[in-house]
Formats: sequence, C-alpha cells, structure tokens
Amino acid sequence: MLKYLTKRSGIYLIMIFLTTSAGYFLAVSTLKPAVLEQEKIPRPTPEQVAASFRGLGLDPDATPWERYIGWLGGIITRWDWGRSPNGAFVNAEFADRVLVSTRLFIASIILTLIIGVALGVYSAARQYKYQDRVITSYSYLVHILPAPIAYFLVQLGAISVNETVGQRIFFVTGISTPGIEPGWPAFVDLVAHYAVPTFAMTIFGWAGYQIAQRQYLLDNVNADFVRTARAKGLTRNQAIRRHALRVSFIPVAQSIAFTIPAIFTGGFFAEAIFAWPGIGLWSIQSIGLQDVNVATATLAYGSVIFAIGAILADFATTLVDPRVRVQ
Amino acid sequence: MTNIIDPIAEIDESRAADQDVVIGKSRIIFRRFMRNRTAVAGLFIFLALFLFSLFGGFLTPWDKDTIDPLNIGMGPSPDHFLGTSQAGIDLMALIVEGTRISIFIGLIVGGVSVLISAVYGCTMAFFGGKVDAVMLFILEALIMMPAILVVAVATSGGGGLKNLPSWLLLIIVLLFFSWMGTARLVRSLSMSLMQRDYVKAAKYMGVPSRKIVWRHLVPNIGSLLVLDFTRGITGAVLAEVAFSFIGIGIKLPDVSLGVLIGQATGQVSSFPWMFWVPLTVMFLLTGSLAMMNDGLRDAFDPSSSSIGRAKTKTAKKTIK
Repeated sequence: MLKYLTKRSGIYLIMIFLTTSAGYFLAVSTLKPAVLEQEKIPRPTPEQVAASFRGLGLDPDATPWERYIGWLGGIITRWDWGRSPNGAFVNAEFADRVLVSTRLFIASIILTLIIGVALGVYSAARQYKYQDRVITSYSYLVHILPAPIAYFLVQLGAISVNETVGQRIFFVTGISTPGIEPGWPAFVDLVAHYAVPTFAMTIFGWAGYQIAQRQYLLDNVNADFVRTARAKGLTRNQAIRRHALRVSFIPVAQSIAFTIPAIFTGGFFAEAIFAWPGIGLWSIQSIGLQDVNVATATLAYGSVIFAIGAILADFATTLVDPRVRVQ
Repeated sequence: MTNIIDPIAEIDESRAADQDVVIGKSRIIFRRFMRNRTAVAGLFIFLALFLFSLFGGFLTPWDKDTIDPLNIGMGPSPDHFLGTSQAGIDLMALIVEGTRISIFIGLIVGGVSVLISAVYGCTMAFFGGKVDAVMLFILEALIMMPAILVVAVATSGGGGLKNLPSWLLLIIVLLFFSWMGTARLVRSLSMSLMQRDYVKAAKYMGVPSRKIVWRHLVPNIGSLLVLDFTRGITGAVLAEVAFSFIGIGIKLPDVSLGVLIGQATGQVSSFPWMFWVPLTVMFLLTGSLAMMNDGLRDAFDPSSSSIGRAKTKTAKKTIK
C-alpha cells in the first residue's frame, strides 16, 4: 500500500510541476502589471515602474524564462512563492485564504453528500413513482442551470425574505460583521452569514450524487445476487440495504473524491457571488490585478487538491470494495 | 455508458436495403427519436432559437449599436418589444446577437472537442504501450489544471492575446479543456472493442485496418460521439454563461447571453426585463438541448426498450 502510494504521489508531483510551470508561462506572458501602474496619480515613469517591479522580482524587461528560473529558485530554496505587484508576500496571505474557503465549503460538502446519496437510494427504490419523478427531474433541472446564476437567484430570494420580514435575518454577502462582540452575538452573526451560501451550495450540489446513486443502484437492484437474497427470505428493503447498496456505492465513493476539486472550482462562483474572501475570489481578483505570482500559486493549489482527491478516490474504492486490492 | 455493443451496427447497410425485413440503423434511430415527444419538442425549440438568432434582427428595426435617446431604460413597449437597456439600446437586438454568439460557441466547442477526443482516444487505443502511457499522462495533467483560472488569465491578459476577440479566445480555451473526459471513454471503449472476436476475425481475414476502423469501431463509438456532441454544446453554453456572468470570458463590446445576464444583476429590481428575458432564453437553449439529449440516448442505445408510446406500460418499466 505504501509503495503504491509513493509511486502515485510521485507521478502526481511531476504533473503538478508541469501544470504549474505551464500556468506560470501563460500568466507571465499575458499578465502585464505595468499597464495598471500607468493609471496611478501622479503617473510614474516607465523607469520608476520597472525599478519598483525589479525589487519585487517582477522585472518586466526580463524574458519569461529568466523570470521562471528566478521564481522556481525562490520556491525550491526558500519556499517563497513570490510577491504581488503591490509588494505583499504570497505566502503570508495564502493560509488565511485557504482557511476561509475550507470553512465555507466543509458544511455544504458533507450535507450535499448525505442528502444526495439518501435521495438517490430513496428514488431508486421508488423508480417511476411520482417521488422518483419529482426528485430526478429536479436534479436534471439543476444540471442546466449555471452555478453562479443559481447562487444569484438564491441571493435574490434571501434579500426578498429580509425585505418581507423587515429586518436583516440573512447576510447575503461577506464572512462576518466587523466589530461584533464575542460570545452569543458572534455565533448568531456567524450563522447568519453561513446560512445563505451553504443553503445555495447544498441545494444545487446534490443533483450529481442523486443521479449517480440512483443509476448505479438500479443497475444492481435486479442483479442475480439480490434476487438470491430475496429468495432466501429477505424483504425487498433488507436485500437492497445489505446487498445492492454496498456494491452500488463503490462508483459513488470514487466520484466523491473527484468532486473535491470540482467543489473547489464551483467555489470560485460561490465566493465571487457571496463575496467570501477565499482562495477562489483571490485568484480571480489577482488576475484582474495582473498578479502573476498569486495566479500561479492558486493554480498550483488547485492541482494539489485534485491530486489529493484522486488518491483519496483510490482509497475509498479499496475501503468499500473488498474485491479490490491495491498493490 | 450503456452502448458498449451494438448488434445493429454489424448489419451492413447496403445488404439491409435488399432484405426488407431488416430496417437500416439510421432509420431505426430516427424513428426511435421521433417517438420521443419530449426530444422532438426539444429539437423544435432549439431550431426555433437557432433561426431566431440568425434572422431575429428583422423583427426589430433597431440594431445593437444604435441608442434610442427617447427610450432609455424603458420597459417593453410597442417601439421596443422587449424594452431597452440602461444605455437605451434595444434589448431584442442584444438578445438576437447574444443568442447567436452563445449558440455559435456551443456548436463549435461541442463539435470540435468531440472530434479531438475521438482522434486522441482512438490513437491511444491503437498504438498502446509507450504512446498510450505518454498520451494518458498529458491527458491527466490537463484534467488537473483548473480551467477557470486559465480562462481568466487568457481573457483578461494584456499581452499579445489582446488582439483576438474575446469570444474566439473563450472558444480556444474551452476547447482546450473540454475533450479529456470523452477521450478517456473513447480509449477504454475502443480498447475493449479491439479485443472482440469479430474484430479479430476481420484481422485474420486480411481486412485492412482502415476498413476495420470504419466498419467496426466507428459505428460502435459513433453513438457515444453523437451524444457527446449535444452534451458538449450544453456544457459550452453553460460554461460561457457562467464565466461571463462573473466577469471573465466574453467581454464587451461582444455580447452573449452570459454578458447580458451578468450585466443586469446589479439592477434586477429597477430593470427586471434586462435580467429575466436573457435568462429565459438561456433556459430555453439549455433545456431544449437536455430534452434532445434524453431522446438521443434512447434512440442510440440498442438495449433500450424505451421506444415511446408504441409499447405498453409494462415494457416501459425495464428502461435502463
């Protein structure tokens, strides 16, 4: 197991290195922070801009290859991911941003999974009855609705609830109210900020799990081993729970690990709409500010998350499926 | 995927014409598709939208660059059927233009990415060994990259990419990141097909590889590719809307449905028509594609017993 893990991690490390390098070259050749400096008042001369950027390791006159070598050297020798055009260190902000994103997503990841799988089993057991039709058509409807628009509609709904009640129950943007006292008021404030994004991400997130779980369970419900179980005297529900469910959960378990990076991507939209200063919003803003180093660091983070998800997927399969032995 | 083996595909179409008992494959597929009412409705909605995006400009005397100074930010009226924007531009003209760009992006990305994935996947399966390993490595590395960041970098960069129009840039980037899933499916599918007895038999009989591919592989993968084409269109339209909505992707002066929806979000309460009309058009577009997709899947799936109303209710219960 350990050997397999090391080999797999090695391959992923090479891949992360390649994607990050490709991303760096793309960013370095398209993002030009000097253009934005021209809009400052008083307007700096091109020499001043070049001098200040050179101090930050963002020399606009250097070739992409020279900058790449300098940037890579900094990471390897000092674990320094470089600086922004305004002088901030990427390393300093990174951990906070990751924490904000994780806090935002963790609840909805768990809720989405539980609700999605439960609804999938429920609808498969009642195939083509009206419950199944309602649940499954809802899932297909969610599929044709782009995530940011869905979140925006939830936001509109929350605002109209606030207006109807006449006071602000839900906060539709932001992470917390500045200057709130600790203790009970801080907790209420926290819940009020979490409620809308978590709700939005959950109700538009479970569709994939529901469809997959329903499909795989239906594939297994009529299998021979389930029929044998029924013939031996188990009720339909017992046979589904003890025999069909476990087998049908294997592909779902695999897809769970792969949705971790997908949620990271969906997180861009959630963070942009609900204005949570997490890693997704940071990366989009940094690209708007022509910030090469932040853009590359977030891209590397996305690749790392994907690699972790893929390795977890292998683990999940061995956990659920006794027939698979990893070597 | 449900369509691993396709027995109908093995029947040579020319021979099928002589024996009138056997119906040609394409006719069976067409009939099955036409029996599915939802799918046919989806097809009609899509065609209507397509025609609207091409010829809708004739429905209104205004175009997307002309400002009507007498009607700025007005609701629907006899002069402007769908109202005007905050800048006084006719919304109908904007929607026609936006729908055209969105459908165009969808068709190009859906079509070309299917082609790329078919060629890439088949090449991997054919050569196997080292070529397969290297190509698979590239494929997985591409899956790993967060596409949204690359879209953002490419469309907001100030470098040499600035000269290209934003819709073309978006098409290129979407194409780059849309073919990997299908390519992997095509690879595993054609690998298993290469092991089948009828392919082996053809090989031993001395049938040239090109003919084997054309006669045995293409019909079997074909249904997957057709399905993936419609799915690819939906995916590209949704991606365009999502990216443009949060401000990356298509940029003004180009209009698309995503740009129109995204622009309107700031003033939904004061200019509701600017938000809800493009949103409805987007729903019609993606919804009609989803409806068609369901029908196509049933039509192409040889094991499907879902053939619409011609069968009794009990037969329907065994779908999937």
